Amino acid sequence: MMTSYLTPKSIFIAIVVVFIGLALVDHLQSPTLQSTGAPADLGNACAPCGAPCK
Amino acid sequence: MMSRATARSKDAPTREMIVFTGLGVIWLAVAGLVGLDTGAKGVTLFALGTALGTVFLSFQYGFASGWRNFLQSGNMTGLASHFLLAALCAVLFIPAGTLGISAAGSLAPISLSLFIGAFAFGIGMQLANGCGSGVLFSFGGGSGRMLMALPFFVLGSLLGSLWLPSVLAWGQLDPIQIGGGLTPVLRTLVNLLLLVGASFIFWQAGRRRGQTMPRKLVLGSLIIAALCWAVFLVSGHPWGVTFGFTLWGAKLASAVGFDIASHEFWQWPGPARALAHSVLADNSSLMDIGMLIGAGLWAAFSGAFYKQAWPNQRQLLAAAIGGLLMGVGARFAFGCNIGAFLAGTASGSLHGWIWFAMAMGGSWVGIKLRPHLGFGEK
Repeated sequence: MMTSYLTPKSIFIAIVVVFIGLALVDHLQSPTLQSTGAPADLGNACAPCGAPCK
Repeated sequence: MMSRATARSKDAPTREMIVFTGLGVIWLAVAGLVGLDTGAKGVTLFALGTALGTVFLSFQYGFASGWRNFLQSGNMTGLASHFLLAALCAVLFIPAGTLGISAAGSLAPISLSLFIGAFAFGIGMQLANGCGSGVLFSFGGGSGRMLMALPFFVLGSLLGSLWLPSVLAWGQLDPIQIGGGLTPVLRTLVNLLLLVGASFIFWQAGRRRGQTMPRKLVLGSLIIAALCWAVFLVSGHPWGVTFGFTLWGAKLASAVGFDIASHEFWQWPGPARALAHSVLADNSSLMDIGMLIGAGLWAAFSGAFYKQAWPNQRQLLAAAIGGLLMGVGARFAFGCNIGAFLAGTASGSLHGWIWFAMAMGGSWVGIKLRPHLGFGEK
């Protein structure tokens, strides 16, 4: 009997793999940084989302 | 002859081992690239995100379900544990400056957008059956519902970022610190009194109704608090989830030709820096990816990955609407249960408490809508 590989789980795994792949491509195409953002790098924003304080 | 069901169940351990191994390889590849770019700090945050994904999924530590249990059946144990978690975080977040720690809590303006956004988020998290962290760890754990909710969350938060500057202009006050005029020690004590008091009130009210606090919830709160401390010390900010989603949306939109960088939100220092660099160089985005992989690793390891039931079409529609509402709401309200409620209250910011009240109101509306969108009455 032929088995269908197009199951919801296989679609799910494919999406995760594509997503991680896109993240890696973006990473490799982006300028390098020495560190992830410290509060000072984020304009001393009040919240982690980077929104400036009034 | 072996039945299909038997054959399928015999295949399951092998398939889950493949998923586990595949995710492990992806984790190592991402960690290696992060290490080359942002060094030990980046790898540590990625590992902390992975640990959070594993802990949230293994302890089933949910905000949306805890709040729904409270509103539907008067079960207070979830809320008691959430305020316990915030109190544990506040012990470090509020006096950080006085202790000589180079980190700052999460404060946000008291804006009209905060009220609207938190209310919308509350509706959304009941329709999607998960909040910001819940969507992420359930998605990583193989949930079909979150396969629908997450892309709409990303879309909603991108739209929210484009609209936020205009909505902020409707009216806002500066951030308000609870006990702002007091010494750091007194401010910490006042906020701890509020948070421990809230946890105690919910715990006591539950006890009177014969509810006992599950040890799993207490242990989960302790472990998550320890991880939140570590994130705070390493990144310099409390843990936040939803800005990563906003960044993913902006990156994808930019990739297909939209001029995202010219919008006001994306010219603010933090977002501009994030958009110009890798998705693995932003704290929130990096930890989100770690959380997703961590939850996937745990789901594959524990055998839960292939046991997830697929929701019906109406529930998928609810997940999409919920994701969209949470996305817009999170940007308007400066975060989700983690970035606004937990980080806000644990930083002694009034906006965290307003977020809690408004999102609770939204949750009530969301619960009323659930039966119309394919959920059972409970």
